[in-house]
Amino acid sequence: MRRLWVPGALVALILLLALLAPWLGLPDPVRQDVANRLVGAMPGSPLGRDEFGRDVLSRLIWGARTSLAVAFASALIAGIVGTAFGLIGAWFRGLGELLAVRSMDIILCFPPVLLALLVVTLLGPGAGTLILVLSVLYLPIFARVAYAEALSARNHDYVEAVRALGAPTGRILLRTLLPNIAAPILVQLSLAVAAAVVLESGLSFLGLGVVPPAPSWGLMIRGARATMEQAPLLLLWPCAALTLTILAMNLLCDALRDAVDPRGLALRPRRRAIDRILPGLLPEAKPGTEATLGMRGLTVEIDTPRGVIRPVEDVSFAVHPGETLAIVGESGSGKSVTATSLMGLLPPAARVVAGGAWLQEKELLRLSEPELRKLRGGAIAMVFQDPMSSLNPVHRVGDQVAEAIKAHNKGISAAEAKKRVVALFRRVGIADPENRVTTFPHEMSGGMRQRVMIAMAIANQPALLIADEPTTALDVTVQAQILELLAELKRETKTALIFITHSLSVVAEIADHVTVMYAGQVVERGKVDEVFAGPLHPYTRALLAATPEGDAAPSGIPGVVPLPTAFPLGCRFAPRCKHAAPACEAAPVPLEEVRRDRLTRCVRWRELSAKAEAAA
Amino acid sequence: MTRWLFGRVLISIGLAWVVATIVFMALHVVPGDPAELLLSSNGVAADPAAVAELRDKLGLARPILDQYLSFLGGLTRGDLGNSLVDDYPVMSEIALRLPRTLELIFAGSLIACIVGIPAGTYAALHRGGTFDRIASGAAALLLAIPVFVVGTLLVLVLAEMLRLMPAGGYVPLAQNPAQHLMLLALPAIAIGKGLTAIIFRMSRASVLDALSKDFVRTARAKGLAPARVLSRHVVRNALTPILTVLGLQMGTLLGGTVLVEYVFNWPGLSTPLLRAVEARDYPMVVGVVLTISGLFLFINLVMDILYAALDPRIRTG
Repeated sequence: MRRLWVPGALVALILLLALLAPWLGLPDPVRQDVANRLVGAMPGSPLGRDEFGRDVLSRLIWGARTSLAVAFASALIAGIVGTAFGLIGAWFRGLGELLAVRSMDIILCFPPVLLALLVVTLLGPGAGTLILVLSVLYLPIFARVAYAEALSARNHDYVEAVRALGAPTGRILLRTLLPNIAAPILVQLSLAVAAAVVLESGLSFLGLGVVPPAPSWGLMIRGARATMEQAPLLLLWPCAALTLTILAMNLLCDALRDAVDPRGLALRPRRRAIDRILPGLLPEAKPGTEATLGMRGLTVEIDTPRGVIRPVEDVSFAVHPGETLAIVGESGSGKSVTATSLMGLLPPAARVVAGGAWLQEKELLRLSEPELRKLRGGAIAMVFQDPMSSLNPVHRVGDQVAEAIKAHNKGISAAEAKKRVVALFRRVGIADPENRVTTFPHEMSGGMRQRVMIAMAIANQPALLIADEPTTALDVTVQAQILELLAELKRETKTALIFITHSLSVVAEIADHVTVMYAGQVVERGKVDEVFAGPLHPYTRALLAATPEGDAAPSGIPGVVPLPTAFPLGCRFAPRCKHAAPACEAAPVPLEEVRRDRLTRCVRWRELSAKAEAAA
Repeated sequence: MTRWLFGRVLISIGLAWVVATIVFMALHVVPGDPAELLLSSNGVAADPAAVAELRDKLGLARPILDQYLSFLGGLTRGDLGNSLVDDYPVMSEIALRLPRTLELIFAGSLIACIVGIPAGTYAALHRGGTFDRIASGAAALLLAIPVFVVGTLLVLVLAEMLRLMPAGGYVPLAQNPAQHLMLLALPAIAIGKGLTAIIFRMSRASVLDALSKDFVRTARAKGLAPARVLSRHVVRNALTPILTVLGLQMGTLLGGTVLVEYVFNWPGLSTPLLRAVEARDYPMVVGVVLTISGLFLFINLVMDILYAALDPRIRTG
């Protein structure tokens, strides 16, 4: 809203000056005084006199009056008529739409200045002609905006309700629809006024707009051009007035548009230099295991306009060669942030503040970008959720896979790369790979696209493959095929696989180990069969109950995952847990090691599992 | 692809026909006798003898359908009639001057793309930085200054005060290439300034948009070098919206040439056009308006074809 003030005040001032021109005690703007031709500042004329000895300041202010009068009159006429056309088109559709809205588009076939000149030829120059031309020019824009807005408003419940009450059409259009589409029309109106000022001054400058001696900024610039060598200031004043007016109007329009449609406002990530220099306290010790990937205490922070949030806190796990680790949880549990931080692909506003991840000898979270780039697509690869948006729509799929090969095999020939791509396509089960490499992503089915993504990921025999909900965007039958493909690839290549999903039934099918995440924390960890047989955390139990079979999203747990801005102090699941006790909410709950490789974050796990055993 | 192209060309021809029809009708839908209207000035009635002569010249006595058909027939033969002022064929005048206007438009668009796209991309990559803020402010200012004001101020500062550049004029390229380019520079900058600002804004917005796309994440996940991610996956995908804006702005650009040619005495289409508007020389005005509108339609057709070449989804869609 602050952005509205400065341009708003400026526009208001210009309008006020123009409106009050007759009462400001200015000299007559058209009275000539040849004796004082081109005189500089003089008493009564602070800006001097023009080539006919007329007062420049007076002509500037009266010129604003002319320009703005023409601009407002034409924008208003175009706004009223165009909105009416748009409303009629949206209400009646069919022929009404064709006549009232589509026919207007013809006007857009002409460059505006030329259409104006054509009409001036027919009708002769003058303010009346200008208003007519300008209102015709802006008509289609209003008709389109009103049409589009009314069309979407028309289907809203409140319009349906008024309609069902039997209100006459005219009344619905004026009383119900119009107020609801007023905001975009007003923005368009201010845009049209600004554009009309430009066009009016341009035509007047050519001597085809406002008729002399009436004052107009365009005419003043035209006049001052002849004497620019003797009196350059005479040229600068109207230029400055015109530019300032249009600048203020444009800024006001931008601010208005943002106020009406806040979607356009981007969030600006806040970055502190200190975060670049000291990336948190990272543990020095490397876990002494033969794991492909060992992750310890990963914590990620994101700067948001509402403060710093921690979508991932103290997450640890390990994956071994040929093994699959599933990370399970609802949306908002921090699964994907965990995966993207491993790849070094966190958004700029996010940063790792603690933890370490060791891929064989290398600590991923502290690697430099060039080092990390060598690993990405090489030793670690990732398959994303939506293969449609993850493939670039303008490049052939074969080229996109070849890119991954070329990035990690310097100096490989194009023919050799292509041969490898065809082999990879065959490997991931794409029929007719020789021809498929030249298709575009939009020409493939969802399952085929995901196969391409997998081919891209395994192109350089990664030690670790991360699959982030790779089947969520696919049909059920295709899901099974993709899972089978991933399981097969893992068996054959001994790749370690991290499989991120919200579905426990998928976990049962593919994973050896499972890590359950909730609100940024690990709440349970263990072997898949053990966790399924005897879940220790109420959240795991609720997830299991919610997905008895199939791949449905967990729906049986009341409530939603809390936002990172509002994590509870104690157990984060407590507000949704039916076993919650006062002790749960008192203090943060630590992750407890029940036995080797079996962890849970629940203060009541002993009594709850005892109760469960008794029930069974 | 060929079917799509064929359809697109047909639409353009249809639009050209609509434009021609409107221009033809404009003379006849105005209330009153067109000849009288063209000869009257400030409400002073015209000389009846002159009116009769003009009616005869424009063929206004014939049935309107007859006039319309011969107008369209003339168009297909490239005959736009003769000037009312000197009886010179309108087509010859246009053929002489059109290349000069085209050169100006081309130079202006070239400047706009060369400056706007890299500046917008850089600003997007360093969003919120010093360059971004300065360039965004400059773009707002460039958009606010009308094209003839820029032209006039360029003449005032560079030609009159500093005497670095000639104030305006024209020398054929064959006669003196250096001088030709020197004279082309200022009008091209003036015509390209608004487009530069718009292309800057659009490049900035669409690069920001492309940067947030999943396929850019995929490209980075492949381990591609930043330069390659930028050129092949960000800028390449950001080009389509930039092209759309370029097409949409051509109308403003073509209108702007009228003003810029006037300011810099560039002997393109605007000189005969403005002379004709003042003299109410209707055939000449119609000829130039049709030519430029046709050019506008043609440029949009080319933009659409380029668009399809850049985005494979349109070809098959």
